[in-house]
Amino acid sequence: MSQEAHTAKKRRIHASQLEPQPSFLEDLEQLQETNQATKVDDPSLLWERPTCDRLNAATDVLVFQQIEADEYMDAASHTPVVRFYGITEAGNSVICHVTGFLPYFYVPAPVGFKLENIPAFKTALEAAVEKGNSIVKIEWKLKESIYGYHGGDKIPFLKITLKDPRNIAAAKRAMERGISFAGFNDCTAQTYESNLAYLLRFMIDCHIKGANWIELPAGSYQNRNDSSSNAQINVQVNYEKIISHQPEGDWSKIAPLRILSFDIECAGRKGIFPEAKIDPVIQIASMVTVQGESKPFIRNVMVLNTCSHIVGTHTMSFDQEEKLLASWSDFVRKVDPDVVIGYNTANFDFPYLLDRAKHLGVLKFPFLGRLNDIRTEIKDTKFSSKAYGNRESKSINMEGRLQLDMLQVMQRDYKLRSYTLNSVCAEFLGEQKEDVHHSIITELQNGNEETRRRLAIYCLKDAYLPQRLMDKLMCLINYIEMARVTGVPFNYLLARGQQIKVVSQLFRKALEKDFVIPAVSSQGGEEQYEGATVIEPRRGYYDVPIATLDFASLYPSIMMAHNLCYTTLLTPGVIQKFNLVKDVDYVVTPNNDSFLMEKKRKGLLPIILTDLLDARKRAKSDLKKETDPFKRAVLDGRQLALKISANSVYGFTGATVGKLPCLQISSSVTAYGRVMIERTKQEVEATFTVENGYTHTAEVIYGDTDSVMVKFGVKTLEEAMELGRKAAELVTTKFEKPIKLEFEKVYFPYLLINKKRYAGLYWTRPDKYDKMDTKGIETVRRDNCRLVQSVIDTCLRKILIDRDVTGAQEYTKQIIADLLQNKVDMAQLVITKQLSKTDYANKQAHVELAERMKQRDAGSAPALGDRVAYVIIKGGKGTAAYDKSEDPLWVLENNIPIDTRYYLDNQLSKPLLRIFEPILGEKAESLLAGDHTRTIQVSTPSVGGLMKFAVRTATCLGCKTPLKKGESAVCANCKERAPELYQKQQNIVNGLEVRFSRLWTQCQRCQGSLHQEVLCTSKDCPIFYMRKKVQKEIQDSTATLDRFNNPLFIKNFNPSHADLKYHYIAHTSCDIMEERAAMKAQDMYLGVLFSMEDLSVYGYMTNTKIKFITVLTVPDVIIKDTDMKNIFRRIHAAYVNHASNPFYEIDSEKMIKSKKFEQEIEAIGRGRALEGGNRNSLPATAP
Amino acid sequence: MLEARLQTGALLKKVLEAIKELITDANFDCSDNGIALQAMDNSHVALVALLLRHDGFEPYRCDRSLALGVNLVSLSKVLRCAGNDDIITLKADDTADVLSLTFENTDNDRISEYELKLMDIDSEHLGIPDTTYEAVVQMSSAEFARICKDLQVLSDSVQIDVTKEGVKFGAKGELGSGAVTLKQNGNVDKEEEATLIELQQNVSLNFSLKYLVNFTKATPLASRVSLSMSSEVPLLVEYKMEAGYIRYYLAPKIGEDN
Repeated sequence: MSQEAHTAKKRRIHASQLEPQPSFLEDLEQLQETNQATKVDDPSLLWERPTCDRLNAATDVLVFQQIEADEYMDAASHTPVVRFYGITEAGNSVICHVTGFLPYFYVPAPVGFKLENIPAFKTALEAAVEKGNSIVKIEWKLKESIYGYHGGDKIPFLKITLKDPRNIAAAKRAMERGISFAGFNDCTAQTYESNLAYLLRFMIDCHIKGANWIELPAGSYQNRNDSSSNAQINVQVNYEKIISHQPEGDWSKIAPLRILSFDIECAGRKGIFPEAKIDPVIQIASMVTVQGESKPFIRNVMVLNTCSHIVGTHTMSFDQEEKLLASWSDFVRKVDPDVVIGYNTANFDFPYLLDRAKHLGVLKFPFLGRLNDIRTEIKDTKFSSKAYGNRESKSINMEGRLQLDMLQVMQRDYKLRSYTLNSVCAEFLGEQKEDVHHSIITELQNGNEETRRRLAIYCLKDAYLPQRLMDKLMCLINYIEMARVTGVPFNYLLARGQQIKVVSQLFRKALEKDFVIPAVSSQGGEEQYEGATVIEPRRGYYDVPIATLDFASLYPSIMMAHNLCYTTLLTPGVIQKFNLVKDVDYVVTPNNDSFLMEKKRKGLLPIILTDLLDARKRAKSDLKKETDPFKRAVLDGRQLALKISANSVYGFTGATVGKLPCLQISSSVTAYGRVMIERTKQEVEATFTVENGYTHTAEVIYGDTDSVMVKFGVKTLEEAMELGRKAAELVTTKFEKPIKLEFEKVYFPYLLINKKRYAGLYWTRPDKYDKMDTKGIETVRRDNCRLVQSVIDTCLRKILIDRDVTGAQEYTKQIIADLLQNKVDMAQLVITKQLSKTDYANKQAHVELAERMKQRDAGSAPALGDRVAYVIIKGGKGTAAYDKSEDPLWVLENNIPIDTRYYLDNQLSKPLLRIFEPILGEKAESLLAGDHTRTIQVSTPSVGGLMKFAVRTATCLGCKTPLKKGESAVCANCKERAPELYQKQQNIVNGLEVRFSRLWTQCQRCQGSLHQEVLCTSKDCPIFYMRKKVQKEIQDSTATLDRFNNPLFIKNFNPSHADLKYHYIAHTSCDIMEERAAMKAQDMYLGVLFSMEDLSVYGYMTNTKIKFITVLTVPDVIIKDTDMKNIFRRIHAAYVNHASNPFYEIDSEKMIKSKKFEQEIEAIGRGRALEGGNRNSLPATAP
Repeated sequence: MLEARLQTGALLKKVLEAIKELITDANFDCSDNGIALQAMDNSHVALVALLLRHDGFEPYRCDRSLALGVNLVSLSKVLRCAGNDDIITLKADDTADVLSLTFENTDNDRISEYELKLMDIDSEHLGIPDTTYEAVVQMSSAEFARICKDLQVLSDSVQIDVTKEGVKFGAKGELGSGAVTLKQNGNVDKEEEATLIELQQNVSLNFSLKYLVNFTKATPLASRVSLSMSSEVPLLVEYKMEAGYIRYYLAPKIGEDN
């Protein structure tokens, strides 16, 4: 059981219904309007912060919210200084240097150590540290170790205070190695509190929490007159003078932080991901918002080369990239943002800008922080945590500015299928954005000012979306509240794991209660303890209400109820020594560990938990009263942070690679949990029986960790809810306070598949169900394809909501049939998996694919940490599954057959059987085989070993037999069916065309312009796959249609048109010609058939029904009919010449390949071309 | 209406053994010429072309061309119920969705009837155009099978060199290398074992042994096999039967990868 189980209960915020979206340009326009008041001629005048008068240190009080802190060594005094960066309520920037606080740690005084031994000890330790005069003082303190109960007596500790935090580690090692002094030989000791970072030590001792308000009374501080920083207020203060306000009541406000959201575009080369050494940065879009305001007040884009004006946006053009970069860094320093956000800025945008500036020699660029002399640099970091997984990333230092890379936030806090900005926005904002492939960006940049404007709008949107995401998900507020609740600096929340938060709280509480905490060196013991219990499920489909009883905050409440803590842990020796009596002084947990009772001493952890849960209760009740939306957001963020913190305490004690593991606590917690679940089951089943006067005997059908599902046997929801409430009350009385069993919901109907796998309709009120709830079923898992998710979801809906099992079966069969016939959308078949490390022991599909993609195109290949999207393609017999993975786009482009069997057997079958077996029993298997699986489609790829040699033999469209010479569409047997089949094919083409138009328009809407071509290649967008697939299908089915009326010869004189276009025209013309010919049977020349766009089409039909078509671009001069007739006659003559060749089979439907004929047509065409017309002639035969 | 009666049922069983490793589902194209099957393996590296000419059946009747979509695994399961000496009759209606098979045992007058559900397979009909090959080697099919099996121990690909003196099969792998050379000989005594080479030009080509071993599943069908090769053109391995043939095409290995 890891911490993950608790943190995994993540909040899901979903976009409300997809509404028709106004284009982003309209958004910009609205922003312009709402900001009328601040409209100025030069938008760059808005950049700077509000002005601020110089403080009078003697009379002015300085109050500010600190947002970040760091430490440095003062060169003169060789002592550490803490530097706080903050904002006043008026929006002025503050840097506050705090001096005087020195680091320290404890060691227990060796046995026989006397006060007078201190000087000798100090000398010996100083020698061992080897850093000269490093120890300031050593004091004699009475303290108690937090670990275990020792009768409540304090023992002597030596508090060693040092000058330089960096020497603590050396001193610690020296103590552990052992030092000798005045009669003490090789005296070793475990150190206490030596593994706490200086900054955190300082914040804990000064009661400063993350992102809280700090007050410097008048007269306590001095103004500093150095130029090291560009902050408006720069002061110095001694640490004892600081007043730290706890973030409650009025002090829970948030300063008007400036938030910069930005995005860059670079012009890469085809097929290669942009490299900073070569590819230029061409655009940087920035949006600046003040925290608490809804719209950005600065919107600008810096563009290399010219760019047309964009409404509501300050557009700046630069002729040199160096100037652009320099201006942007000036802009950042002027705007002086407190928070910098973006999407993937930490791993892409910032490193790219810094590398590029270095390459171009823009010297003043890399100074983006608040300190003038500190260069912003890129460092590689590796982050690994049990809860969040391993990630490689880059860290960029920007002193005084918080960085919130929304990509990292998303990856930490939400479990999604894909983390591209596009899919994240689709998920949370209900909006798609166009995804322009990086190779197209260069083309847009190299176009004109209009194409650059288009790119700029795209770039602006990418800069605005992170801001909107942050507002919607309230990340900033939630993180600030988390920092305040746990007391860690803001940037720890993103850069560090879960443990540091508990550490911070534990140390704070220990300081308050006079405990010291041992510095345990973490050994990676793989000790496993028993986790939560699961009551064996009674599988099946329940068509009666199932009541669910839950323990509220189970693990925290167990720790509180039984006083489980480091400070109350007893060893048998201690029990004997103090003559403790079982069940009077202490309890023995079901795990056979002993803990002191609360009346003897209340544990530290229970105190922390009580505080957290009480604070949560307060926050929740405040939330109910609060009406201001902004304050509500803060309170909601707080109660969430409190809940998460309370739950993470248990995990902390169980983390074997941790700061202070105590498996006795964590295993006792789970042991209590197991006992309680069993007890609940017994109580419920013993009480609610027919013997006791109830109509049915209750039955616990399932239970897991903190909940039990009870079948009371009653038929109606009302009765079940009533009994559920009664049972919860009854069972609660059997346990220690504050353990509480709550009745929460009823499932009706309920499908119990297995342990941790169930589905049901969720009711909290008898009149209307709340939702359909599923656990552990493929609807939520991410490691399979969307098809599984949607099939299972639809089936469950049909079964649970509509109560239509037959409908669900029919639906399943239809989907399987579609799958085998390749009719299922490709987007449904894509599987994504995260590439978290490259050296997997076993070969895995996504790893292998990433490797292959790297060989194909290193630029677009997925990197470590990315999610890899793939589909499974057909392979030879015995090919391992990992070798059958392929990039969906590659599959689409090359028509590679998908292994539909794999999807049926390995993806769909198990989940389907799981949900249908409890209902249908043995019959469930029939869903997977049967008549609906007997129609399959096998596509022919355009790549593959033999494909370049193979030729296709046309098969009859009616009966699929291979066609003989001279047959093009149908075989002799199906000849009568030809019109019917033609009609069918025509309908298919028409249908596809309509579909394609719709999809195209959809994409145009999404990109916000109906006049421009769609550029988007978003791999997350289902529409994209559909559009690509339909495009392909139109080509194929038009080619099939061609076979009914196949052209004998096509000559295209206009290289700018695709040949395929003339196939379409020829088809359209054939019908018109038949009509015309029926009317004027005399003349072979049929005149203009029709005109479309810039083309006009002329027709001519011979007596043998050979049709000629000439397409002309609409000419400048009017073409006389006699001229056209002449042309046709010449074509006709050429054809007759050709047909007279004794080796030519007149009936053949093959394309004419005669060189002579081609030359003649060429000559006719060229002749015309001299007169200024473009032409394409297309003789075609009638069937 | 298709009706085809095969005197030696073992033939059909052997044919199926020869193709079912490569192909899972395929259309049997029945016409008045006979029964044909042409399909690529799943990885599109090899192609199988099978023809059972009408004169191999007695009687044979096919009124109109039919494409019978068959799952080969299912068919071979059904054929397992037929004895080697059974007479097999295949029947299908023009619009049938089943293929009926009748196995007659003349010795003990046992007649068994089976019906196999057909599939509707929508796939393109692919073929390799006929070409003139630079080198054609005719040899004993058993010898070819043995060479492939032996060399597979060493490597997964084989290099075939044909000169006018003879043909050399060579393989190099982790544990060593090996080569088998067959000299051109017109051994009149044992015509079956003679190695005959028709050569326009020397060739040297690389092929996947995995596939070649699969092809040799057809060895029971013919005592002779012919290998036709040209550089940068698929290899043709042909087993000629009394009335028909089974041909395998295999794409050459280019460089070290496939």
